[in-house]
Order: sequence, then structure tokens, then C-alpha cells
Amino acid sequence: MTPENKFEIHLPSTLGAEKAAMDFAAEIAKKMNFPADRVEDLKTAVAEACMNAIEHGNKLDASVKVGVSLTVDKGRLKVAVKDKGGRMKKPPRKPDIDSQIEGKTPPRGWGIFLIEELMDEVSFDSSAEGNVVTMIIHLDKKE
Amino acid sequence: MTKSQEISTRLKGDVSVIDIRGEVTSQTGKPIEDAYHAVTAAGAKKILMVFASDCYINSGGIAILIGILSQSRKHAQRVRMSGLTAHFQKIFSMVGLTKYAEIHPSEDAALSTF
Repeated sequence: MTPENKFEIHLPSTLGAEKAAMDFAAEIAKKMNFPADRVEDLKTAVAEACMNAIEHGNKLDASVKVGVSLTVDKGRLKVAVKDKGGRMKKPPRKPDIDSQIEGKTPPRGWGIFLIEELMDEVSFDSSAEGNVVTMIIHLDKKE
Repeated sequence: MTKSQEISTRLKGDVSVIDIRGEVTSQTGKPIEDAYHAVTAAGAKKILMVFASDCYINSGGIAILIGILSQSRKHAQRVRMSGLTAHFQKIFSMVGLTKYAEIHPSEDAALSTF
């Protein structure tokens, strides 16, 4: 891999900052000729991963950065979102919309579900240094 | 209401229309909830949420909408949505929101279903 294939941005841990990463990822995906619907998938997934890192990882501490790296590879784009928070819990399964509508559970928890639904490959890694969500989207996979 | 969002309400026959433009997130949810509470206080039983094509909706915004749909059931209201882009129609279907609020391609199409 050449250095030109990798981009990095760092976000303050404030809600709303995720849109910078979302727009940046979209620009790269467009240049790679991803179809418009997949660019939209990517935007949502990147925004959700960044929001999780901002809110749950870095606890909205604006002085702590969320690192977003984007790696362009043959036919695919890999996005890694890193926070400096404590170990992430195992991602929950799909939240229960019926239970949420009935008011039995709070209407939350959709971010990771959307990431997993919209991206082709997703992994979650935790260490003492923080958490990393890695998402891969392929040019020739999924419609 | 934030600068990045515009919310307004209007009546179309006996349907209360809530127009939503801009961000639909946890931070911008209150004006949408306020609009819903206002039409509910006015006795609305049919509600149409019209999303502008520039809407940015994230999981926090989805949570706001789930909350509104939850309340609408208690008030025996029928809720429809229109104006959503193909992407957000897909997202709402994935989440299961479409079980509780029909999504229509246009305002007129949605109004004709009440």
C-alpha cells in the first residue's frame, strides 16, 4: 500500500463533529466510483461509528480526539474509527422496535445495528488503548 | 430550534402536517417533539410527517421518531411519513419503523391514505 492511499482525520469529541468524517468519507467513495446509494450507506455507517466513539468512547470530552483513517485499496474502502475509551461491550443484537414502541425499553441502540447492516465487513476491537470499529465497503458487493 | 433545522406545522383538511427540514438527531429532536405535542394538544388524530430531501437523520433522530410513534399509539393517532429519500426509506424499513408508520413517496400520496 502506498501512503497516498491512506487518509486520516481527527475529530473533537463533540456531537456534530461526525459530519466532517461522514462528508470526507463520501468524497473519497465518490472518487472511487461507488454508486450513490452505497455512498449514502457509507455516510450513515461512518457517522454512527463516529458518534459512538464521541459519546460512548470518549465520553464527549472535546479535548480527546476520535481518529478516523480511510484506506483506499483495490475495489474497496476501509474506514477505521478509533476512540480512547474503556473496553467496549459486545455489540448488542438488533434492538427490539416493538418493545421500544411499547415503552418497555428506551428507543436507543440503533447505531451499531445500522453499521452492521450497511457495511460489507465490520469488526470491533478493544484494547487498553481504546476501541476501534473497522468497516469495509466493496465496490462489487451488495446492491 | 437550531439553525440547521426548520420545523413547522399546518393543517391539510383533517390531517396535521409536520414539515421537517434539516437535522433529525438527538440534539435537534426537541422541536420535532414540541411540534408533535402541539398538534396532539390540538386534537390531531391524523398526522403526516413530511421530510425535506436534505434531511440528515441519524440513530439519535430515529430514537426521537420511535418516541413519537410510541406516544401516537397511546393517543390513537395514525401517523404517515413522506419525502424521505430512498436511503432513509431503506433505513426506516431496516429498523422496523415502517410497521408503525406508513411511508409514502409524496405528500399527496400519503394524504390519500388516511
